[in-house]
Amino acid sequence: MHTRLLIIGWLLWLPIPSSALAADRALSVTIYADDLALVQDRRDIEVKGGRQRIEFQDVSAQIRPETAALTASDISIVEQNFDFDLLTPAKLMEKAVGHEVTIVRVNPATGAETRETAEVLATNAGVVLKIGQRIEVLRDDGLPVRVIFDKVPDNLRAHPTLSVTVIGGHAGTRPATLSYLTPGLGWRADYVALYNENDGKIDVQGWVTLTNTSGVTYDDAQTLLVAGSPSQVDGGAQQPNHYRRPQPRPTLQQPGTESGSRERLGDYYLYPLAERTTIANLQTKQVSFLDVHGVPAEHGYEFRNRWLGSAETPQSAKSIYSFSTSAHAGLGDQLPAGILRFYMRDKRGDPQFIGETRIDHTPMGSTLSLATGDAFDVKVRAVVDKRTQLSLFDWRSDMRYEFSNALPRPVTVKLLQEGLWGDSRIAAESQKSTRRDAETAEWAVTVPANGKASLTATFETRY
Amino acid sequence: MRGSAERPVILRGCALACALAAAPAVAADTLAEKPSDLSVTVYRAPERGSGSIDLDRLEGFALVSETRTVHLPAGTSRLRFEGVADGIEPASAIVTGLPDGVIEKNREGKLLSPSALIAAAVGKSLTLLRTDKKTGQLARVTATIRSDAGGGVVFETPEGIEALRCSGLPETFSFSGITDLAATPTLSVLVRAAQPVTRTVTLSYLARGFDWAADYTATLSADGKSLDLGAWVTLANGNGVGFPAAHAQVVAGRVNRESGEVEPLDPGGPILAECWPRGSTSDPPQYLQIRRASPLDAGGSTAGITLFKMALAAPMAEVAVTAHKRVEQEQLGDLKLYRVPDRTTVAARQSKQVRLLDRQAIPVSFVYGADLEVNQPTASVPASRLLRTQNTAANHLGLPLPSGRIAVFVTRGGGKLLQHESGMRDLAVGEEVEINMGDSPDVEVTSVKESSSNDRVDVTNARPAEIRFELRLQLPEGGRVVRADHPTASKNGRPIFRLTVPANKTVTLRYQTEHVT
Repeated sequence: MHTRLLIIGWLLWLPIPSSALAADRALSVTIYADDLALVQDRRDIEVKGGRQRIEFQDVSAQIRPETAALTASDISIVEQNFDFDLLTPAKLMEKAVGHEVTIVRVNPATGAETRETAEVLATNAGVVLKIGQRIEVLRDDGLPVRVIFDKVPDNLRAHPTLSVTVIGGHAGTRPATLSYLTPGLGWRADYVALYNENDGKIDVQGWVTLTNTSGVTYDDAQTLLVAGSPSQVDGGAQQPNHYRRPQPRPTLQQPGTESGSRERLGDYYLYPLAERTTIANLQTKQVSFLDVHGVPAEHGYEFRNRWLGSAETPQSAKSIYSFSTSAHAGLGDQLPAGILRFYMRDKRGDPQFIGETRIDHTPMGSTLSLATGDAFDVKVRAVVDKRTQLSLFDWRSDMRYEFSNALPRPVTVKLLQEGLWGDSRIAAESQKSTRRDAETAEWAVTVPANGKASLTATFETRY
Repeated sequence: MRGSAERPVILRGCALACALAAAPAVAADTLAEKPSDLSVTVYRAPERGSGSIDLDRLEGFALVSETRTVHLPAGTSRLRFEGVADGIEPASAIVTGLPDGVIEKNREGKLLSPSALIAAAVGKSLTLLRTDKKTGQLARVTATIRSDAGGGVVFETPEGIEALRCSGLPETFSFSGITDLAATPTLSVLVRAAQPVTRTVTLSYLARGFDWAADYTATLSADGKSLDLGAWVTLANGNGVGFPAAHAQVVAGRVNRESGEVEPLDPGGPILAECWPRGSTSDPPQYLQIRRASPLDAGGSTAGITLFKMALAAPMAEVAVTAHKRVEQEQLGDLKLYRVPDRTTVAARQSKQVRLLDRQAIPVSFVYGADLEVNQPTASVPASRLLRTQNTAANHLGLPLPSGRIAVFVTRGGGKLLQHESGMRDLAVGEEVEINMGDSPDVEVTSVKESSSNDRVDVTNARPAEIRFELRLQLPEGGRVVRADHPTASKNGRPIFRLTVPANKTVTLRYQTEHVT
């Protein structure tokens, strides 16, 4: 009995010779930008006639089992199970309650082994065994005792495992495709922009960065990246998404209207990788997709003041670089969402990092305006000089903005006063403003080299 | 026993066949030579406006550029760069100088560790070693690891299923074959070359675990009318990797940083060999604990962060102070770059100081100040003592002052006394420098409400010298000062009274305010 069980257990777990399986294995992985991937695993499977269970052990550990689908000719699917009860020593012992195990006592003095058959009665806090008519606690005396189990219980596995029970029509090998959705695979774009201060041009390289935390390695997979986020219903086995955060400052100044030659799927752009690649677990992989040189770029300064924003000390203006993604005088491509890192050459000619910024999916022909950080030498101090109540709901606010520039050349700072909502108007101003939108007034203030400038504006607001 | 119709067909990963199928893509490994030239540019923690660095929390970063020689064979090869900083952000890595045909860049997140060896061996056949404690005899048994889930190891031998190290006998696995797991996070590039080439390439990347700040020491003259200012650039490397004979730079100014997330990294762990419950009859009673089965944890990023924190938490062994040679400043876009003049070694877990500036006889003035909220009578409060000067060439300054910490000393007899320490923000040329020297108990301010709209403020001076005093009012929205018995001015939109208080005297100020209700 003991031996027979053992042999069956041994056979059950012998993997099918993998060469037969994998000869025609074709993995394809489609990765969306939002921590979601579609895995399609095509391989030849051997099917017997009648009811049987097929196990897939090398699926993503984070698989969303409800999205799994097995398709093959001449089989019908009875049910599909996802077992995540993992095989550990404690679980093994727990499942052995009521069953027999072999215990081997080792005499510490002589090394002699004594074998006995024992029934496991309980595993609460300690293991209680029944040996013949005696009841013992396993290793209560601290002496070495080996416990040998006949088999591994059915549902315990080293990895979460997807199993499909099917009824096969005819016996034989046939191609089958298993497809499922899984989180844990994600991608974003990483851009490297080198700004040349002398001629105001940038060189931009784009890389797609792929990360795999799904727990398995995808060998030799055909990989397709989709720029776009399909809507997902909450409640799936999703991980919180780390790659999306609220935009602090709008980067897209002018959305583009041009179409590129990139492949599309619906409204998403597709970025297929040219070669099959192995995406190892916990690997970060980068593949180039963009390399453009000499794109004109503008450098400027911007200062945003919130409504009635007033500062005791001068605040740095933001250093802004703007460029186009248009086909002429631009990058000539749509840009998948990601992080753009700016570099600039120092006096010795070495590229140095000057800041990074996050961009959203950007259509071709757009104008981007990206902040890299604070300008050390260009500062603005906004001051609420006076607040006067005109009538019950009407207020007048006198604002003063002081600009300073420690650079040896004049600069132009774009000043944005926000919060002009409702029935607000500018009653007086020392320089003409433009109304960027209902809530924001904009001034372009020129500050002389190593000098100061000042702007005043009076706002009348009604609440 | 078991219905043979239900016998599962198991589809596992394929070690050999996959390797064969992927043969064209499997590349020869070549290792890049050690860096022949290094450059480290340290950026300060973007969120820190002022203050000094904290060696336990280095939240700045660095741009590391390494020049290395590589020898590429013809065909496809995997070029590996070893010895990069632990805090590397793999997504920021740039390799320049390679021949065309870079297929992909990779950073493996799985490191070599006992648990990684076990994990890689699941389902494979290997040797179990059992040593007889009495005789020392070694028994070799062929075994297959069946699971390493949850920290315990379950294996199978021809005898049956057992759990590792649950019997009380010494046993371990002997692993055979070579592992492709690396000891440190290693960056690799898959590259294709038409013929064998030798190239000099530059690898540059951003790495975390660095920081720097300026540390100023100001020494006031005996008459309190001028000060001498000196400053160090203090930079620190919390990484386990050092940068010998490197060009070192620091950059002042705040740069945008977006990537809060760390790319996944699994540093691995020990083989835990957890067992079944091991309670004995002599154990104190325990409550029955029923645990719910939980799915596997993703294992990724948190482990990486732990590793990194561990690395940073290691004690900073060394504080190096370099020779009295100053950094050279240059403009980098809208930032300031300071270059350490000679090559220097930025060692692992080291903080290093380089001289930033030394300026003498900077004229300063002291003002006492207080902020008062109207309609809030206060018992006497000490006034703040403010040290003021202008960052101009006329004042023997007129250079960018990067943010950091300033310690103000006074001379007494032959020695120096620390008077105050405070943070300093980035100051451009031409800006006013104001250092709050803390409260002065010699100058007290008392505010008394005399009627609903009339306030009285008494400023007492216990010092043996005349002082200048500034009182700023915080008025409610739309309020204004109607009349006062001292001249009223305005600073940053708020009324301010500038008074002179003679030695050991009290000055009383009365004012009337009006505000719409």
